[in-house]
Amino acid sequence: MAIAKAERLMNLALCLLGTRRPLSKRELRGSIEAYLEAGSDDSFNRMFERDKDDLRELGLVIETVENLDGEVGYLARRDSNRLPPVTLDAEEAAALGLAAKVWQQARLAGAASGALQKLRAAGMPEDVDPYEAHGALEPRIPVHEASFEPLMLACRDRRSVVFDYRKATAARPEQRHVEPWALECWRGHWYLAGWDRDRQAERVFRLSRITGKVRSRAGRFQAPVPDVVTVRETVASWAGETATRSARIRLRSGAGYPLRAKAGSVRELGDGWDELEIPYGHGLDAWLVEFGPDVVVLEPAELRADVMDRLRAVAKG
Amino acid sequence: MAANAIDQTRRMLSLVTYLRERPGAHVSDVARAFGITEDELISDLDVLPLCGTSFRGGDLLDIDTDGDRIWWHNPAALSAEAAEPLRIAADEATALLVAARAVATLPGLRESDRLALLRATAKLEAAAGEVASASARLSVTFESEGGVFADVDRAISERRRLWIRYYSPSRDEVTEREIDPIRLVSVGHTYVEAWCRRSEARRTFRLDRVAEIRIMDEVSAPPEIELRDLSAGLVQPAAEDPEVVVEVGPGGRWVAEYYPHDSAEELADGGLRITLRTPDPSSLRRLALRLGRDGHIVAPAELADSARDAAREALAAYDGAA
Repeated sequence: MAIAKAERLMNLALCLLGTRRPLSKRELRGSIEAYLEAGSDDSFNRMFERDKDDLRELGLVIETVENLDGEVGYLARRDSNRLPPVTLDAEEAAALGLAAKVWQQARLAGAASGALQKLRAAGMPEDVDPYEAHGALEPRIPVHEASFEPLMLACRDRRSVVFDYRKATAARPEQRHVEPWALECWRGHWYLAGWDRDRQAERVFRLSRITGKVRSRAGRFQAPVPDVVTVRETVASWAGETATRSARIRLRSGAGYPLRAKAGSVRELGDGWDELEIPYGHGLDAWLVEFGPDVVVLEPAELRADVMDRLRAVAKG
Repeated sequence: MAANAIDQTRRMLSLVTYLRERPGAHVSDVARAFGITEDELISDLDVLPLCGTSFRGGDLLDIDTDGDRIWWHNPAALSAEAAEPLRIAADEATALLVAARAVATLPGLRESDRLALLRATAKLEAAAGEVASASARLSVTFESEGGVFADVDRAISERRRLWIRYYSPSRDEVTEREIDPIRLVSVGHTYVEAWCRRSEARRTFRLDRVAEIRIMDEVSAPPEIELRDLSAGLVQPAAEDPEVVVEVGPGGRWVAEYYPHDSAEELADGGLRITLRTPDPSSLRRLALRLGRDGHIVAPAELADSARDAAREALAAYDGAA
């Protein structure tokens, strides 16, 4: 049976951490059973390169050193791999324990537990059960989009990406070339902010509208990365939350609680109807139509026409 | 979970450090400290004796367990230096820091917990060093209604019943209910899962739809119920729920993003034919009205009719007023 990958990685890590002088590939191959069994030089080399990358992925700093004979050696120096002293009290440890549980995405969940385990090995206290300490609170970060992981890695490594993106109202997806800056989760949805190379402008993309695979491209970013990336403001303006005007509507008594909650003023008309003044931003017409015969728009005329227009479309069936 | 060799390797490296300091450690304690099951720990302990600085001679780690305690018979096989705790990797720092910052924004978090989290975050940033900076490329904001959250949190910890006025968008009405809260869940929006005394059933209430809330003197006594795994989403339609078919044009494609559905077939005009299930199809009348010319209900016919009738009735009010 083939030797498990975790066993092979563990052996390589221990060899590199345990040595004071660089070990050549030949020496490593002689010390690690899985490499002896690897067969040809080619397959060993491929396996070895992949394993080094994997160990770097989990944080090991591996140095490549050439000795006097020109032979390349590898080692993981203690100074560059040692966790600096960090002292956490029981409360702080419990708080981090709660935080580490919020990820529902496998890679981040694994990384968060890995960090916690390193801190634990370094002596972080463990007497407080995070669930007991925090009662009923169970925050979870949802990640359902397949594009999340490749975009996260591209943001981390500052690599540009190509993906097909379908705008909310577009029939067909369009290919976009983007220099990804940051991912942000707001109201349960993930967004990417970055530089759109085709449009030569900053853009925000919603991950659920990315269709197909995200592919990364070689080469440097062309545009400078801003210090502060604002995703939320952009999304809020899409959602019509930046209203500057107001509208007057009639609303049936008892109906439309969310409209009342947003209203600047509510006046009872006494005939089973109330008159409300509400903020008028993008998307208000579609929202008002949802309330059907319980809402009548009084002004402005433009909103009134939009709502009637939408109602006519539904009335035709 | 041996599925991910990187996670397992990372964990075993920390285990080696941890076990070296604690001869005879209990399996149950170590599993808890590492946040893994005892089975996962045992599978790590099966691998460790095959690891060392060389597979020859006595260099392999002689670690074994009787299922209760863990013994390491040759700790000298690994130098003290090689067993020192490892620095935090970039991905690890990002995962933990982003989560910690997000949790710290939850309005319902106890102040002492928030302060502990902020202290821990600062220490973690310092320990992680320069790799911590990449964590700014990912951020999460939890949305929750502060006052309501605090009351629900308090009611749960004090085991008290809650009185709420709750807005149900499907019926466009506000109803009064008494609920025995079980837990708070943040999945995008924040919800309280509770036993509803009015319907005598488990219900999930979105906090931003709570119009009014009061903590009652009565003791909360929800029946013992199995907690569902909510990772697949809060809305999990049952197989026996009636089917609704909606056809939308390009402008109505967002429906597939917002409504969990069974299928979404592409249509020739760039639209979608979406099939979904809901216990109460009439609750989708709002959707039918909202879609306007961007889509229509194909089935059931009663739902399509009720949307059309509502639109006609609404238009009649304009004719009268004009």
